[in-house]
Amino acid sequence: MRPASRTSRRVLLPVAITAALAAAAAAALLPYSSAAPSAAAAADGLPHTVVEVSPGACGHGWDRPHAGRQVFDLRNTSSDAAEVYLTDASSGALLGEVEGLAPGVQRPLQVVLGRGSYVFRCLPEDADAVTGPTVRITAGPATGGPAVLPVTEHDLIPPTLEYQKWVGQGLGRLVGKADALRDAVDRGDLAAARTAWLDAHLAYSRLGAAYGAFGDLGDAVDGLADGRPGGVKDQDFTGFHRIEYGLWHHEAADRLRAPARRLADDVRKLRDRWADARMEPADLGVRAHEITEDTVTFELTGHSDYGSGSSLATARAQLDGTAEVLDRLRPLLEPRDPELPGIDRWLARTRDDLDALRHDGTWPAPGDLQVEQRERVDADFGGLVERLAGVAAVCDVRRTS
Amino acid sequence: MNGSEGVGRRSFLRRAVAAGVGGAAAGAVGLRVAESAAEPERTAADQSPAVPFHGTHQAGILTPPQRHAAFTAFDVTARDRGELAELLGVLTERLRFLTAGGSPLPAGVGEPPSDSGMLGPVVPADRLTGTVAVGASLFDDRYGLAALRPRRLRTMDVFPDDAPEDAWCHGDLLLQLCAENPDTVLHALRDIARHTRGLMQVRWRIDGFVSPPRPGGSPRNLLGFKDGTGNPDTADSGLMDRLLWVGRGAGEPDWATGGSYQVVRLIRMLVEFWDRVSVNEQERMIGRARDTGAPLDGSAEFDPPRYTQDPKGDVIPLDSHMRLANPRTPADAASRLLRRGYNYDRGLLPNGDLDVGLVFCCFQQDLDRQFATVQKRLAGEPMTDYIKPYGGGYFFALPGVRGPADRLGGALLA
Repeated sequence: MRPASRTSRRVLLPVAITAALAAAAAAALLPYSSAAPSAAAAADGLPHTVVEVSPGACGHGWDRPHAGRQVFDLRNTSSDAAEVYLTDASSGALLGEVEGLAPGVQRPLQVVLGRGSYVFRCLPEDADAVTGPTVRITAGPATGGPAVLPVTEHDLIPPTLEYQKWVGQGLGRLVGKADALRDAVDRGDLAAARTAWLDAHLAYSRLGAAYGAFGDLGDAVDGLADGRPGGVKDQDFTGFHRIEYGLWHHEAADRLRAPARRLADDVRKLRDRWADARMEPADLGVRAHEITEDTVTFELTGHSDYGSGSSLATARAQLDGTAEVLDRLRPLLEPRDPELPGIDRWLARTRDDLDALRHDGTWPAPGDLQVEQRERVDADFGGLVERLAGVAAVCDVRRTS
Repeated sequence: MNGSEGVGRRSFLRRAVAAGVGGAAAGAVGLRVAESAAEPERTAADQSPAVPFHGTHQAGILTPPQRHAAFTAFDVTARDRGELAELLGVLTERLRFLTAGGSPLPAGVGEPPSDSGMLGPVVPADRLTGTVAVGASLFDDRYGLAALRPRRLRTMDVFPDDAPEDAWCHGDLLLQLCAENPDTVLHALRDIARHTRGLMQVRWRIDGFVSPPRPGGSPRNLLGFKDGTGNPDTADSGLMDRLLWVGRGAGEPDWATGGSYQVVRLIRMLVEFWDRVSVNEQERMIGRARDTGAPLDGSAEFDPPRYTQDPKGDVIPLDSHMRLANPRTPADAASRLLRRGYNYDRGLLPNGDLDVGLVFCCFQQDLDRQFATVQKRLAGEPMTDYIKPYGGGYFFALPGVRGPADRLGGALLA
């Protein structure tokens, strides 16, 4: 259906390494000792400290620790790209990070520090993490900027497996619903087909979390006509929305038989392929955020409506999908995301407002809502999606070793 | 729109310079109280200093017009009075930071970046002002504010020449953002929308610009005429107290003291039609010469028209816009208002003509004594064939935020 989800950060690393190699030679020429008192020159007016990133001297250069808002200019003096974390030494919470710092490159990290102990950790590509010296700040405000306990891949494996299992069960049920749609179209009973279509499409939308992981098959099942030269008439336009277009635009049943059969087949393939696939743990947090981004972009605008007017029903199903992901992540989020109660509150508010708009089991199309109703739904999803953005950031996978 | 008379542009320019100097000092203070202690790195385009956010009245009213503006009307979706207070608190915080400029606080690793970055790492002040006004609908039964409605505030009247389009009218809250650069305006709108998304939703929005003086004097509107020549002198605080600000004991609710009625009218100009009209006819409709901006009985823009010597309108027609808007009789002095309009350009009409016009904006102490009175005088003026008002609303610009502990609507919700 939608464009592939956010690229996992690790996919970016080979690029960083290439850049690193290119920069390596130049790096040797850079005067490492040029750590001039940069505060005077800093355009941002903040105190700057140049800190070294290398296996042998990780965190070196932080000689005059002080509290407050400040910038560390992290300079990679090694020959490998590295990640750098600044962590609270007592809690292990992460205050800041720079990813893919190429050799010879210097990049700023702005943080707010309170009293406490801090360490830099340098994590070179394909090598063990190195922990720098512990630095103590004894004067100044008690607390600093936001710090979050890192989430590791290991942390994310159990919820991802659970979630994957839940999706697998949903796909199993979807097979029966897609078959029912196919059969109704085969019989030429288009009224029954419209009911079956909605039932099957909502069942799929509830699994929306997994769209990126469904790849090409996901596109075949729930893709839009976007990017197809023939638009809705394009030969290759298939899946739920192709059938929706026909069912709600007086197309004859025979013209829908092939797409309905194809959908039933694709759903079956999807179920089978899912059973053998391994979902990327790094994707789970992104899902928690991006299902709702999809709702805002495709459903609340009516962009994905090919005639059924069921965008709000889809939005409601996607909300259920988000709740499923969040429930799996909850043990990780509780100690980490102070917004979690706010997320729960806005999730409930959005759900209640959508439900209040349902009459006789169906929702009006977004375009048919009164201004006040529409603004309320847009506000609900807007408030929710702003809060969900943090879940993806908190669940971004961090290295431990 | 074009029209009412008074003290000229020259004093206005002197004030602009004075405000610039005062603004620079206040800007430095603003940076200390805002998110950053940083002195922004400035490029030539960003050298405009901060306009002070705190004061008895909001900025963006007497402030000499910045080059660019966005007028955005919102409907409040806050569920209750507590959430409305939260909304006004967030608006206050964001405007306090954005108008002062500085370096946004780091968000840490658990959130996306705190700023969009579209103005670079250090947000320039760029003379940004954000002026918040409320509409009559905010005083319905949702927030228990019915008894506190400013007594003249109501849904915008429909005048005989109006063609209101619902999607472009009214709103619970109006945010007027003005700055010297369009990216500064957009950055501020984007930041505010991000922080308030759940509690209010945009109802309509229109962007505008003020043209540079061509060649001098008041800026021109899209009809090619100078506009704003007759504005009252904003440096005359006594005059402003009489014409602009709601004071105590005037029958308005106490909380409204220091506020001002704001009228915004989206007026489409049928410029293709206008361009097919002779300049003589254009000038007789306006009452001024197009090239100089002088009244038709004068030779320079700021020459006062002498209506008493032209009682039949032989030189300046009686139904010219300028003369109807402000007949300059003692009885009409109290109906003068402060215009702060912006030209707009929003693409095309269905017939292929340009969709351009004026975001008419004015401030006054009394909606009826001032705007509505003037508007009634203008009914049926010859110029109505060339303009079409279709949107906007009546609003009440809140009193100013008095200091770091105060917030927008503080007295309203107290």
